[in-house]
Amino acid sequence: MTQTRRTFVITGTVAAVAAAAPPWLRRTGVLEPGSPREVPRITEPDVRALALRAVDAARSAGAAYADVRLTHTYDRKISPREGVRDVEEMTVGVRALVKGYWGFAASPAWTADEMVRLGHEAVDLAKVNASGQPRVVDLAPVSAHDAGHWETPLRIDPFSVPVDEILDFHQAFTVYARENFPGVRALSECGFTRQEKAFASTAGAFVTQALTKIGAGLGIFVPNAPAGEINNTGSDLLPLAARGWEYVRDNEGALRAEIPRLIAQLEADWRLPWRPVDVGRYDLVLDAAGMAELVDATLGTATELDRALGYEANADGTSYLDDPVAMLGTLRVASPLVTLTGTRSTPGGLATVQWDDEGVRPDDFTLVKDGVLTDYQTTREAAGWLQEAYAKRGLTPRSHGCANAQSALYASLLFPPNLRLEPGQPDVSLEDLLAGLDRGVYVRGLGLGLDFQQRSGWSRGGLFYEVKGGKRVARWQHAGLLFRTTELWKALTALGGPGSFRWAPAQRAKGEPAQQAAYSVGAVPARFKPQTIIDSWRKA
Amino acid sequence: MSGRTRNSLRTATPPWLAALFGAPDKKFLSQADCEALVAQAEQYAQGGGETRCTVTSWWSGELRWARNRASLASDRRNDELGVGRRIQGAEGGVRTNQIDAASLQGAVQAAERNAHYGETNPDDHREPPPRFDYLTPAIWSDPTFAQPAGERARAAQAIIAPAEQAGMLSFGFLAVQAAGHAVIDPAVGRPLYAPYTAAQCSLTVRDPEGTGSGWAGASSCDWTRIDPAALARRALEKCLASRHPVTIEPGRYTVILEPQAVHALVRPVVGDFYGRLDAERSTDGPFHLRPFYSKLGLQVADSRVTIAQDPLDPDLGVIPFTDDGQPVRPVTWIDRGMLTHLAYWRNYALEWLHDNDPIVNRWGYRMAGGSATVEDMIRSTQRGLLVTRFSNLDMLDPQSLLMTGVTRDGLWLIEHGTISKAVKNLRFTESPLFVLNSIEMLGPPERVFSPDSPAIVPPLKAHDFSFTSTIDAI
Repeated sequence: MTQTRRTFVITGTVAAVAAAAPPWLRRTGVLEPGSPREVPRITEPDVRALALRAVDAARSAGAAYADVRLTHTYDRKISPREGVRDVEEMTVGVRALVKGYWGFAASPAWTADEMVRLGHEAVDLAKVNASGQPRVVDLAPVSAHDAGHWETPLRIDPFSVPVDEILDFHQAFTVYARENFPGVRALSECGFTRQEKAFASTAGAFVTQALTKIGAGLGIFVPNAPAGEINNTGSDLLPLAARGWEYVRDNEGALRAEIPRLIAQLEADWRLPWRPVDVGRYDLVLDAAGMAELVDATLGTATELDRALGYEANADGTSYLDDPVAMLGTLRVASPLVTLTGTRSTPGGLATVQWDDEGVRPDDFTLVKDGVLTDYQTTREAAGWLQEAYAKRGLTPRSHGCANAQSALYASLLFPPNLRLEPGQPDVSLEDLLAGLDRGVYVRGLGLGLDFQQRSGWSRGGLFYEVKGGKRVARWQHAGLLFRTTELWKALTALGGPGSFRWAPAQRAKGEPAQQAAYSVGAVPARFKPQTIIDSWRKA
Repeated sequence: MSGRTRNSLRTATPPWLAALFGAPDKKFLSQADCEALVAQAEQYAQGGGETRCTVTSWWSGELRWARNRASLASDRRNDELGVGRRIQGAEGGVRTNQIDAASLQGAVQAAERNAHYGETNPDDHREPPPRFDYLTPAIWSDPTFAQPAGERARAAQAIIAPAEQAGMLSFGFLAVQAAGHAVIDPAVGRPLYAPYTAAQCSLTVRDPEGTGSGWAGASSCDWTRIDPAALARRALEKCLASRHPVTIEPGRYTVILEPQAVHALVRPVVGDFYGRLDAERSTDGPFHLRPFYSKLGLQVADSRVTIAQDPLDPDLGVIPFTDDGQPVRPVTWIDRGMLTHLAYWRNYALEWLHDNDPIVNRWGYRMAGGSATVEDMIRSTQRGLLVTRFSNLDMLDPQSLLMTGVTRDGLWLIEHGTISKAVKNLRFTESPLFVLNSIEMLGPPERVFSPDSPAIVPPLKAHDFSFTSTIDAI
């Protein structure tokens, strides 16, 4: 079975987004108040003092600009099957700019002496490289002296909920399935993360944030499924999102209703024959999750400005949008129906913040407007690279606030904001799109592989249905989608409406050393003019 | 600072810990540090049972460059501590990177709480600690540990210079790392500790118009065994020679795969040398779908193919124990084409083989080669393709290891014994098992870029490799 977004929620994102352990010491009552471990909360004056000490050390050592980040990450995963797993990580990283060269030093020690060592080390590293060829860095402006604290809006901090309560919550689904659906096993589990972070810079900013993420998964397993049939599936009702425990708890009824729905979905599939794929060109419908995957793997990757200018050439690859200045505002990258925006303000978004990792307040911005490329994802340094292009269009360069990092152990890097494929009008549903398919293919759970410039792609997962007269009539074995990115986007003929819009979690691994950051991708289902359907197991 | 920072907390910590933080040049925890740390943790344990810890304490010095200029120089360190508490058959664990006394106490208590939620396994019985003899691989290099940041800067400048002089753009990354890895577990019988170093350098040279791209890379435990100048030359030559590629039809081609390309195909094969237990006992689990299920003793590849792990090979050193103390030993997986061993754990050895020793797969491998050079292979080829490396690989069928992926950073058409032109990249759909049975020639094995686990791999020539579509990416 291929990995679906559902398993991703539980095994992928939560596990990988780094660290975390509960404020297990101070907030869950394992240790009583007055315990020996008194780590300062991110909002306490001690943290500010540490941060300013690091910035001062870098400045006095000769940095033209420096910033410091302190991150304290907690991660907890709770599963009736595997129990409880906690991870905690505290890190601090100082970045310094000297004559256009960056140095970065990081460690796990939040001590006054260490702040000074890291500040000096970062400057020394920058200076070592600054002795070579000249390099220019134009940092786009940031509002200096910004200050404040921001937290993911939530009602119930998941780390404040007793583990027993969460275990009972999930255990109930197993019991419910056993009692109501004989022969079906259900397993529910959840994971949550909080990252507290502080940022200070020589520009005068000091800001702190506490970002919480939680997701719950529900899987069902039908051991006595017909031979050779798919016998398990999972729910994507509660994907990883920036929410509190209420996001899971208040959806108990809806999550329970997923069990009969998933069983019915499996049984409906079993009634459809498995047939060898009939390769050819077919009208295509993708569901919202498949479109989120497509957005993320193509336009969402290609519009990272550092990637477009080659900065990932020796790692994951570059971008097909590789001449930013010339392409901006002129290049048609998709059907006129397509508008794609970047936002770090949408409620629940995994990349939603008040300040990015350079102290910038992100704005909402349009990457693709009516099918035309209109902007790139930027950081302060990256926005400087677009000065010419922005000037041509009468705009002032400004960072869109895409600086992000896994933790302070990594230098900040350009990572995608939450991405949003704007819904179509009027309110068309997935079923409406399918009803319009006289003969075509519908893909559920699409997974994509792309080349290292996102110019062309292939499916690496997903259930392909043959559709006739608007009805699913068969499942195709080893079917695959093979496409050229821009041709596919230009072939889009219809989009689902606002009612079909869904957010899905996404994660990007990037950089050298590699690090990861999470964001959300929102999309609607879509229909395309004929696309190439292949037998993906067939050799030449 | 007020009295609430971690700094002041540490004034109450033991002298060894104070010494640790008093020494800024100390890049990672020593064996004594780790043992003291775990002894301290054990003091906080309550409710009997066992305390098991793993520590990975590391330092890394890095330099990344883009468009012919250093883009980031970094120095990073971290202490990754795993604390497990096993109480009456139930296990609970936590991970933290804070090693002050109060954090240790909190971690131990949290592990005990989590053990409370773990499932008790009544069948679990602990064997008396095995007295394994562990190998001592050569995985430490003083010059790597001591490398100053200035040496990285000079190396990068020397790598960039030829590309810049040729009007090309260089992008790359070089890094050295030094670390200590400890496993301290009563079930193992004695504390285990391995210090190790690692080094890597890789670069991509592109022409500013984006019509050509070349890559070269190397990794080793020892920085002095990496030749940055040679890598720089190689990536530049490949970039220049790959410019303005022409399109060719996909189809079956004779291929000459450079060692890095062979590695991309063989590494998933090595990853499947596990699970003898499952391969012999399971009839309906996922393991009977693995490629080597019930093939022990059978011919699975061309008789010139031998793939072996040897931690004592100076180019193949790995940490000689697993996180539960099982020893890593030399083993030949495929011997002259025959599958001779699959990995298994100690429990399987005890129960089924009445033996104490497991066979552990650490993914480091040497694939035997031949005497042909890549030039020999080209000369002997009427029509074929020379492949620098593969990228963006996806597994399509785990049972046959059928994969898809694309060529990258240099693909050339060979006609009548010579390279005739650069061609556009192709997507392939192929199984490495097919390639290992279609070999025409093998060259001398060499160390390839593989920072996660060392590999020594030959170039090879194989027939009927399946390319399934053209791609425009360069």
